[in-house]
Amino acid sequence: MKYIEKLKLFNFKRFDDFEYVAREKRNIFIGDNEAGKSTILQAIDLVLTGSRSRVENLGLETLFNQVSVLEFLNGDKKLSDLPRMAIEIFLNDHGEIWLDGKNNSDEVTCHGLKLVCEPMIDEYGQEIESALANEQALFPFEYYNIQFSTFSGQLYTQNRKFLNHIFIDSSLIGTEYATRQYTKSLYEANTSLVERHQNSHAYRHTKATFTSESLVTLNDALDATKFDLKNDGKSNLEQDLMITQGGIPVAQMGKGKQCFIKTEFALQQKEGARPIDLILIEEPENHLSHLNMKKLINEIEKATQTQIIIATHSNSVCSRLDLHNASLISPSKKDPVSLSDLPDDTASYFVKAPNNKILEFILSAKVILVEGDAEYMLVDGMYEKLYSEKLEDTNIHVISVGGTAFKRYLDLASLLKIKTAVTRDNDGNYQSNCVDNYAGYVGDSIQVFSETNNANRTTLEKCIYQDNTALCDELFAAGRRTLSVEDYMLSNKADAALTILDAGMDRLEAPDYIKQAFEWIRG
Amino acid sequence: MDKRVIFAVAGSGKTTHIVNSLSFEKRSLVITYSESNYNHLRRKIIEKFGYLPENITVQTYFTFLYSFCYKPFLHYAWRSKGINWDVPPAFTLRLRRTDRRFFIDGHSRLYSNRIAKLALDNVIDDVRARLEKYYDEFLLDEVQDFAGHDFNLLKEICRSDMDILLVGDFYQHTFDTSRDGPTNKNLFHDFTRYQKHFSDIDITVDKDTLSRSYRCSSSVCAFVMQSLGVNIESHKKEETGVYYLDGEKIFKKVFYDDNVVKLFFKEHSKYPCYSNNWGKSKGLDQYDDVCVVLYPKAFKAYTSGNFSKLPASSRNKLYVACTRANRSLYFMNEADIKDLKTR
Repeated sequence: MKYIEKLKLFNFKRFDDFEYVAREKRNIFIGDNEAGKSTILQAIDLVLTGSRSRVENLGLETLFNQVSVLEFLNGDKKLSDLPRMAIEIFLNDHGEIWLDGKNNSDEVTCHGLKLVCEPMIDEYGQEIESALANEQALFPFEYYNIQFSTFSGQLYTQNRKFLNHIFIDSSLIGTEYATRQYTKSLYEANTSLVERHQNSHAYRHTKATFTSESLVTLNDALDATKFDLKNDGKSNLEQDLMITQGGIPVAQMGKGKQCFIKTEFALQQKEGARPIDLILIEEPENHLSHLNMKKLINEIEKATQTQIIIATHSNSVCSRLDLHNASLISPSKKDPVSLSDLPDDTASYFVKAPNNKILEFILSAKVILVEGDAEYMLVDGMYEKLYSEKLEDTNIHVISVGGTAFKRYLDLASLLKIKTAVTRDNDGNYQSNCVDNYAGYVGDSIQVFSETNNANRTTLEKCIYQDNTALCDELFAAGRRTLSVEDYMLSNKADAALTILDAGMDRLEAPDYIKQAFEWIRG
Repeated sequence: MDKRVIFAVAGSGKTTHIVNSLSFEKRSLVITYSESNYNHLRRKIIEKFGYLPENITVQTYFTFLYSFCYKPFLHYAWRSKGINWDVPPAFTLRLRRTDRRFFIDGHSRLYSNRIAKLALDNVIDDVRARLEKYYDEFLLDEVQDFAGHDFNLLKEICRSDMDILLVGDFYQHTFDTSRDGPTNKNLFHDFTRYQKHFSDIDITVDKDTLSRSYRCSSSVCAFVMQSLGVNIESHKKEETGVYYLDGEKIFKKVFYDDNVVKLFFKEHSKYPCYSNNWGKSKGLDQYDDVCVVLYPKAFKAYTSGNFSKLPASSRNKLYVACTRANRSLYFMNEADIKDLKTR
């Protein structure tokens, strides 16, 4: 098996200096929009494809780290300070001498490939210098060299495939280019070079037969000028190939279906065929229904010979494929944060648990965890009333979790240093439920807030009623026969919360422990 | 583990011996010194297997030096842009051996004769580890052309934990491109001392296996042994002649006879005939009758029957030229044909 062990990026797009240690089987990148998840997949794809013209078509301007470019232009503009861009892919040792060597930034003997873009100072030093002398000088991308080489120091081109990989980019699904790329790589993965030559030859032969047999009558009637079939770069076997399912071209199917079929097909392990070593999947959830998503995840779980790298926004993708495989990419942190140190039982909890808010939680800087939907609505409302700003405009997220799951989220919070306030009912035993229970967690970034009165302030509803008796009576007393107002609020939590939100929020006094939670989380 | 150097004579089947020892079972790295021998060996291997098996790598020495020893381990730091084949300028010999300028010129090109030293001083352990990882045996043809730092590197490579087979013909040492100042300056002055370099590092010296020529007849061998002092015997039973061509009629006939190759000391292309140079004819086996053209000093030596006054390198080239003959060997005085020169 061949797989990526490590990825290093230098001045590539958002990353000026980035390192990711990959896992042998599955790798999940989670992160906010623009965090750079897709950039990582693109970097890997570029190096493994080894196509100079791809890089040229994308343009160095778009690939180079803008900060470094600006820093250079605003500085002394010395030739020796010109930034270089590099992508290094460290591979596992699989006995391939052409990949083996010390030509990497770690200067360690190992397998690997890299793309380096450097200024050609020896060749064009003078030209670059005069281009930079200008007051409004632009960055001299024209004088940069694009070079693909292995860690043994050998150059390579797109003709040499060291790793068999497929990039399934759902944002490109449906475009002709992506379909062709995908078909081509799958075709190459499933055939040997000799087989491909044989097929191409047979295809030309078939065309020739068509000309000599079917076009013959037409051509016989003509003089020197005749009809024939094209055989060039735009009409050949690889251009004409397509993938079908049940006789229907996959390219004609819906995007979701395409994404699914493409991944599934790529994952098939044909007996004796060269396995696909690596599949890169970009946001598979974009076009997939929940059901297909589940099927896709099952397929991915079954693939054992293939390394998979997924960038996703989907709670189910990242939690069902085991959070241990996930890494958080965030603009604020230099390197990805791996979730591999998450306690095993917590990771398995998220694999099995029903719909969860895992990504929302992970991507937040500050979180207030509450017990249920009623609490969620009320906390939201109380915050807005107290601070006259909406929670969604702050960087504080309120997430409703079932009471028992608090600790699962707190495991994540301690690992990722997410500032987390837990607000909960004391349920009649403050010491045991709210203090002892979280003994290992509470610290600088985690605090638990609750009512200490074990007698009659055991839940949020009771506190609200006691602190706002007049308001609650006004809202709920009418029509009460058997239940007291307080009991009604307790047994119809969500409805009561909605009513308060609709009619009484501007007068509602928040319980002290909620206020304390707000103050702490804002600090 | 077998570590062996075989000293062979011309036409004794060095290449065949190497090719015969190759198989699908071992991962073999075969190194030649010259480009022509590389092509020859490669062709022979393809003849044997039908194609070049994946477990066999054939490389010229400089490809090996640059892409096996230098590039994987030193390129990242040194960033060279190719090789400079010229003799390094004299001032560099006065530099410290750690100075970048000792190894690399102003255009970032490595001096060809010092790459081995660079590897030797910095990454010899890496090189040995790489050899041991990817190959089971190291085979090297034309060992006699390794001089200067290259010879030192070769000795260190021989310490690798793998089978080593070196093959060469001491008297066919004709290239002196690897020289660098005093390093191994006198390496080829004395055959006995040359052999000791190998036995000292536990390499078996084998002078028997390839001591008889399949190419040269016993007459040619006898001539070579007598006048050039090289121990060479023949596998052939039949006798052929060794003649000196005298008289205008005869040497003109041979000069224009395209079945007889004329071997010149140098500048053979100035003569409008089927020809080659002594040194360049090394490794070639396609000639039946050979006519060696003697330049004035060599002619004098020939007539006196004593070549010992000629420089060793010229003597070696003459040995190469004489031993190209599958059949008869002729000699001709260059002065006799200087009027035939056209270019």
